[in-house]
Amino acid sequence: MRPQTTEDPLRTAGARPALCGRGLTKRYGEQYALAGVDIEIEAGEALAIVGPSGSGKTTLLHVLAGILRADSGEIELAGQRIDRLNETRRAELRRTEFGFVFQSGMLVAELSAEENVALPLLLGGQARRSALATAREWLGKLGLAGKESRRPGELSGGEAQRAAIARSLAHQPKVIFADEPTGALDTRTGRDTMDALLGAAAETGAAVVIVTHDRELADSVPRRVAIRDGRIDTGVSAA
Amino acid sequence: MLTGAGVAVATALVLLLIGLPFATQERGDRASWQEPSYGSGEDGPATISVSWSRDYTDGEQITRVDVAALGDPGSVRLPEGVPAFPAPGEALVSPELARLVDRLPGSQLADRFGDRIVGTLGEDALEYPEQLVALVGQRADQLPIGYPQHGFTSGLGTEHDLQLRFLAGVGVVVLLVPSLVLVASAARLTAARRERRLAALRLAGATPRQVISMVAAETAIAAAGGALLGFAASPLLHAAASHVPWGGGTWQPTDFQLPLAVSLPIVVAVPALVLLAAVLGLRRVMWTPLGATAAHRRKPPHWARLLALPAAGGFFFAMVSASADSGGGVLPVLAGLGLVIASAMVVGPWVTSAIGGVFLRIWRRPAMLLAGRRLRDDPKGAYRASAGVVLAVFTGSMALTLMPSLESMAGSSSPFRDSVLYLEADRATATDVVRQTNDELARYGQDERALALGQVTLRNGSDAIQPAIVADCATASVLLRFDMNGACSATPGIYSDYPLDPEQLTVTGSWEAGTAGEPFAPGTPMRPILSNGAEISSTPIVDPAVLPEGVEFQHALVAVPTTEENREVVRTALAGSAHGIEIQSRETRLDRQQGQLADLRRVTVIGLVAASLLAGCSAAIATAGSVMDRRRTFGALLAAGTPVRVLARAIRTEAAMPALVATVGAGAVGVIVAMGLYSLIQPGAVVLTPWILAPVALGALVALLAASVCRPALNRVRSEPLADE
Repeated sequence: MRPQTTEDPLRTAGARPALCGRGLTKRYGEQYALAGVDIEIEAGEALAIVGPSGSGKTTLLHVLAGILRADSGEIELAGQRIDRLNETRRAELRRTEFGFVFQSGMLVAELSAEENVALPLLLGGQARRSALATAREWLGKLGLAGKESRRPGELSGGEAQRAAIARSLAHQPKVIFADEPTGALDTRTGRDTMDALLGAAAETGAAVVIVTHDRELADSVPRRVAIRDGRIDTGVSAA
Repeated sequence: MLTGAGVAVATALVLLLIGLPFATQERGDRASWQEPSYGSGEDGPATISVSWSRDYTDGEQITRVDVAALGDPGSVRLPEGVPAFPAPGEALVSPELARLVDRLPGSQLADRFGDRIVGTLGEDALEYPEQLVALVGQRADQLPIGYPQHGFTSGLGTEHDLQLRFLAGVGVVVLLVPSLVLVASAARLTAARRERRLAALRLAGATPRQVISMVAAETAIAAAGGALLGFAASPLLHAAASHVPWGGGTWQPTDFQLPLAVSLPIVVAVPALVLLAAVLGLRRVMWTPLGATAAHRRKPPHWARLLALPAAGGFFFAMVSASADSGGGVLPVLAGLGLVIASAMVVGPWVTSAIGGVFLRIWRRPAMLLAGRRLRDDPKGAYRASAGVVLAVFTGSMALTLMPSLESMAGSSSPFRDSVLYLEADRATATDVVRQTNDELARYGQDERALALGQVTLRNGSDAIQPAIVADCATASVLLRFDMNGACSATPGIYSDYPLDPEQLTVTGSWEAGTAGEPFAPGTPMRPILSNGAEISSTPIVDPAVLPEGVEFQHALVAVPTTEENREVVRTALAGSAHGIEIQSRETRLDRQQGQLADLRRVTVIGLVAASLLAGCSAAIATAGSVMDRRRTFGALLAAGTPVRVLARAIRTEAAMPALVATVGAGAVGVIVAMGLYSLIQPGAVVLTPWILAPVALGALVALLAASVCRPALNRVRSEPLADE
C-alpha cells in the first residue's frame, strides 16, 4: 500500500521554492527508506535534515539531488520537474545547479586544493586559467589563502572540508547539499566549518540542505526538519 | 578467484615451457637410432655399417637409414619400435610412409626401398607420429659410404634441438613475467577492495604484520588452489601443444610429461612467487590504504635511472662484439640481453614520470591533469601495469627483426638448377650409380638420363685453389644455373663468371693439397659466363675437350635433370641406385630452410599472442584496480555530476599513455638488440620490414583495450556512487 505523504509542517503557500519534493518514496527491498515525503526549500534558505541513523535522511538528500531516483513522487527545481530526467541530464544538473559537501571532503588526493576547487569548473568547460583564478578566489574567501597548492593530505581536516565547501560553491550552484559535513571534525572546527559554509552560501544566495544527526550543529541552522522511519516527523520539526 | 585463475594459467604455462626441453629430449631419444653415433667404436667391435640420408617425396622429408650387418644380424640389438633387422633388399617403413607407399606407384616411391617392405616401425622408433622413415637393408659391399659402428645409436644422454631449448628459455621469461604481473595485479586488486576490512582489523589491534599474514594466508590458499588446478589442467595444454608442428611434425602428448621431481617444485614455486608478489603489493596497500596515490608529493625518480639502459645496452653490445670476435659463448650475450630487459624496469618509471610532468605542464582538460598527476605521483605503479605489454613488444620486435634477416640468409649456393637432382660420390661409385639409374629410368620409360660430372681442382700459383666441374658447354647450360653467354657456339674452353688466366692455372683430379697439377694446353680459351642468382658460388666449368691428359677426377657429381611431372620417378630411380648416398637439390634445400623458418615464425606468433593476452589481462586488471582504489573519490565526483566519459578519458589516458610510450620504446630497443644478435650470426645490415611495427601496434592495441575496462568499472561505481565498498 502506498504510504500517506507527510508534509513539511512549517511550509506555507508563498513564493515558488528553489527545490521542492512531493510524495517522495524510496524502497530498499521491503523496507521504505522514504515513505512519502513532501519538502520545500526556498532560495537562499538553509535547512537541516535531522534524524537518527537509518531514518532516511541521507536517502532524502540523495533523492533531492538526483543521485538516486525516487520510486514515486515529484521533484522540482525552480518550478521545473527534474525527477523525470535521464541520468545524463541529472548528472549535468548536479554539475551545474548543485554543489556537494561530503563528510570526509572527498577531495581528489593527487590534486592540489586549487585544482580540486577548479575541477567542477574545468569539467564544465571553463578554461584552465580562469578556473584556477576562481578557485584561488574562493579558497581566499574561505581562509585558505596561501594553501592553494597543498594537497588534501597536507591540509588539516577543517581546511580540507573548507576546500570542499569552496569546490561546492565555485560554480555558483543554486543548491548545496551537505551530508554530515562536520562528522569527521571536532566540535570547534565543525562549528567554524558550518559558519564558513553558511556564510559563503549566503553570499551567493544558494540554498543549503544539510543532513546531520548532530543536534547542536542542526541548531545553528535557521530551519530544521526531522525525519524518522522515512517520514517527516511533525512532532520534532522546529524552526 | 582472479588470483587462482591467474596462478592456474601461469602454472600450466610454466609446466609446458619447462617441459619443452624434456619433450625434445624424449623425441630425440626415440629417433636417435636414425642418426650416426660417431666414436661408438669405443663401445665394442663394429657390428653394422650404416648410412643416413634425407630423401623427399612430394616435398615431404623421408629419413632414410641404410644398414648392413657386418656379422650375425641376430646379434644386433634393435632400437625400440624396430621389430626386425632388415635383410638386404628388405625395408621397414613408418606407418605414414607405408600409407604413401600403398597410395603411390612403385616408380614414384616404393622402388627406392629395395625389393620389398617387410614391416612397419612402431611409434617408439619415430621422432613424431607422422614421421616418414625407412630402414633399408643392404649388403655391406653395397654401402659405399657406410659407417661401421657397434649397433644402432642410442640417444640417451645426448642433447637435442638446442634451438627449441633456447626458445623455451625465452618463452619462460616472456610468458612467466606477464603471468606474475597478472597474478600480482589480481592480488593487489583484491587487497584494495579489502581496504575497509584491513582497517577494521587494524582498529581491532592487529599489527600490519599480522594483517599481512592473514591476507597472505588467503592469497596462499587461492594461489595453491590455482597451482593445483594448473597442474591438473596441464595435460590439456600438453594435448593442445602436441598439435603444434615443430621440426617437421607434431608431438606425442606424452612427450611433455615432466618427471615429478621437476613438476612438483614448479607447482610449489609458482604460488610461492605469487605470494611474494602479493605480499609486496599488500605492504603498499597497508601503508597507503587508499591506493598507490599518495596524498603527499613524492619525489620523482632520479634521472640517473636513465643510465641503466645505455649501461645494459653497452654491456650487451660489448658481449656481442666479444662473442663475434673470439667466438665466445652465448651465455654472456644472454646475460646482456637479460640486463637490457631488466633495465626497462629501471628506466620505465622515469619515462612514465616524465610523461606525467609533460602532461602537468600542458594540460588543458581535467583528464590530462588527473592523468599527469597520477603518473607523476606513482610512476612505478603506472609502469608496472604495462610491464607485461612492454616485454611482449620487446621480444616480438626482436623476433620480427631477426626473422626476415634470417630469411634473407636462406638460400643455396649450389650451382645446379632447382630442378636438377644430384649426389656426390667417388668416381667408381658414380659410374655405378649412373649405370643403374639409367637402367631404371629406361625401365620407367623416362627420357632423362643421369650424367657424371667430374670434380677437379684449379690451382693458381701455389696456394689459391678453386673447385671446378668438368662438363661440356651444352650439358652445363642444361644442368647449371649459369648463363653460358654464347660460349657454346665457340670452341671449347674454361667457362667462368670471373676472370681466370688459363696459362697461370694447373688442374688436378683430387682435392688433396700437394698434388701436382697439370697445366692447360697453351691457347686454351677462357669464356666469360654469367651467374643467375646472387648467392650462387662461382664455380668454373672445364670442358672435357680442354682437360689436360693424365688428369683423372676422383670424385664426381651424378646429376639428372627433371621436370615437375617426372621428378618423383627420377628421384626413385636415383635413390634406388644411390645405396644410401643423399640426393640433393637446391629446391629441397630451400624447402628445408623454409620449414625451419616456418617453425620459428609459428612459435613466435604463438608466444606473442599468448604474451599479449596475458599482458592485456594484467593491464586490464591494473586499470580496474586503479578505479577501485579510488572508488570513493570517483564516486563523489560522479555524484557531483562529473560525466563518466570524462573520468573514463582521464583513466584511459593515465593507463594507456605510459604503455603506449613504453611500447614504442620497447619496439625500438627490440630492433636494436636484434641487430646486435644478428651481427653475431651474419655481418651486415638486418632486413627491416614493416612487420617490425606489428608488435608495437599489437602492444598499443592491447594497452588501449586494457585501458578501456575503466568504463565498466566506472559504470559500476556510478550505479551506487556513494556506497562504501
